[in-house]
Amino acid sequence: MNVFRVTLVGGCLLLGLMDAACSNTPHSSTKKLAFVTNNAADFWTIARKGCEQADSELANVDVEFRIPSDGTAAEQRRIVDDLLAKGVSGLAISPVDPTNQTQMINEVAKQILVLTQDSDAPQSDRACYLGTDNVAAGRQAGELIKEALPQGGKIMVFVGKSDARNAQERFQGIKEALQGSKVEILDLRTDDTDRVRAKSNVSDTLVKHADVAGLVGLWSYNGPAILNAVKDAGKVGQVNIICFDEEDETLAGVKDGAIFATVVQQPYEFGYQSVLLMAKALGGDSSAIPTNKQRIIPTLIIKQNNVAEFTAKINRLRGRG
Amino acid sequence: MRRELGTFCLLVVLCVVVAILNPRFLAVANLQNMARLIGAYGVFSIGLGIVIITGGIDLSVGSVFALLGVLLSIMLTEWGWASPLAVGAVILVGMALGWLHGLLITRLRLQPFIVTLCGLLLYRGLARFIANDETKGFGNAAGFETLRNLATGGFLGIPMPFVLLLVVGGLMWVALHRSIYGRYLFAVGRNEEGARYSGVDVRRTVASAYILSGGLAGISGIVFAFYTNSISPSSHGNFFELYGIAAAVLGGCSLRGGEGSILGIVTGTALLQILQNLVNLLGVPSSLNFAVMGAVILAGVVADQVLTRRASRV
Repeated sequence: MNVFRVTLVGGCLLLGLMDAACSNTPHSSTKKLAFVTNNAADFWTIARKGCEQADSELANVDVEFRIPSDGTAAEQRRIVDDLLAKGVSGLAISPVDPTNQTQMINEVAKQILVLTQDSDAPQSDRACYLGTDNVAAGRQAGELIKEALPQGGKIMVFVGKSDARNAQERFQGIKEALQGSKVEILDLRTDDTDRVRAKSNVSDTLVKHADVAGLVGLWSYNGPAILNAVKDAGKVGQVNIICFDEEDETLAGVKDGAIFATVVQQPYEFGYQSVLLMAKALGGDSSAIPTNKQRIIPTLIIKQNNVAEFTAKINRLRGRG
Repeated sequence: MRRELGTFCLLVVLCVVVAILNPRFLAVANLQNMARLIGAYGVFSIGLGIVIITGGIDLSVGSVFALLGVLLSIMLTEWGWASPLAVGAVILVGMALGWLHGLLITRLRLQPFIVTLCGLLLYRGLARFIANDETKGFGNAAGFETLRNLATGGFLGIPMPFVLLLVVGGLMWVALHRSIYGRYLFAVGRNEEGARYSGVDVRRTVASAYILSGGLAGISGIVFAFYTNSISPSSHGNFFELYGIAAAVLGGCSLRGGEGSILGIVTGTALLQILQNLVNLLGVPSSLNFAVMGAVILAGVVADQVLTRRASRV
């Protein structure tokens, strides 16, 4: 009886799979493209909107947006394998661990068009990188720090993980920009993406260095964490905050002046331009890919004067009001 | 009592050393910061400790924080529920999840490790699905300022989470150490069969521990949600169950069940939070954070073991 049941279930599964496989063979001229993120975050919700926009503008492409749930290289690998099996012809991926995923990217690049987006794997055979220049973004933040602290002073920098490439590059950019100025970087404190610790790190810094003049948050949630800790300590206005990305609280902080400025990336453009670029390149337009194999999407500075306009735009992209 | 004493001595020594190395350790602002965190971590650690005393374990706490945080934000900001209603609902959901764990563990005889491990995965996934993978927050808390002040503010200069811990700790101390119910909890953890033959309703006792733990996780969850003021469903509360388990073990709970005390669990929580604080105050590189924590927990447990052995030999 049991054997019979197992066979029955197995047979049904097999039939189902075959059916799925058949229905997934590419139709005539419609190209299947895929966009793979590195984790689940608000950032990618906006990139998704960009992908969807490009998808709706271009008649001959079909974009699949995939989010690895645990943000590991292993899961990205599984997703990419699935996508290859499904017959995608273009892939834009944000590698979690670029150095060790170079091999995988090379293997995939032999079969289909591969772009890296958001985070690059420069040693790999990817056709092009599309995303932020984090060193340049760091320099922008560094200039903002100098602007906020014309007399100089001590600053503390916060991030989730200091071994992450974008953290290192942003930090490097800040250090470059601050060279020769009177601003002194005390340290880089990490929280392993635990928001409770992100905030307590700031609280502890305010206790240890009562004279700290600036607090810099390199990852998106560091902005709100710094803001909340400064509010709790009653030091709003006494400490200058400069951060990255566009969490709601960060934008609210910029609006009411508690945060000096935030440097934002343009994830919408990551999605939109990736799809456009892949569609053009696959359509035979070799000029779509820049000769230096890099398409840098500039970062923007959001201050009190342009925050309202930016907030409205970002809310629209996130599908709110 | 001996076991808590060891941890307590370690705590005192650590405080003295840090205070000497950096006198700012004793600054009012720093004590308040620490009390706030000890309160938030302490409340759910007590719940976890009680589960551990019955010989169980709860690995789902961190994910429960994410799920409850997301729900709380949605109830308050999107559905516009009144604060007391939302708080009640969140604590009830926490207790319901605990009840579910208890049910699976006592009726279906599943292992607590498996049940709550599945919970860890399930609730994290649910939280992310409900939140649509977006960070949920409270904004300016318009309409529920009182609740936020209650969760994060202070009472006579003492941070509210710490007041909560004192109240919860007091109640649980009475329940665990001065009531028949408490004796049952220990009895079930030490010798389940024996407890059953002595007429203890083992199923109900064990299930009640999970319900208590769920309810306390609900309270802590609200405090954490307002502490960070935003809940990123994929990372909020990650690994917090391990902090709770570490605090309970440091405080003298045995993972085999049947041992532990409220005072010990609170001491253990305080020790863990002071470790985090000293890493920042003494400027220890952040990268060494976990190493410091691991080393001190290990030292505490080793010292405890050596002391117990020596005591039993005499």
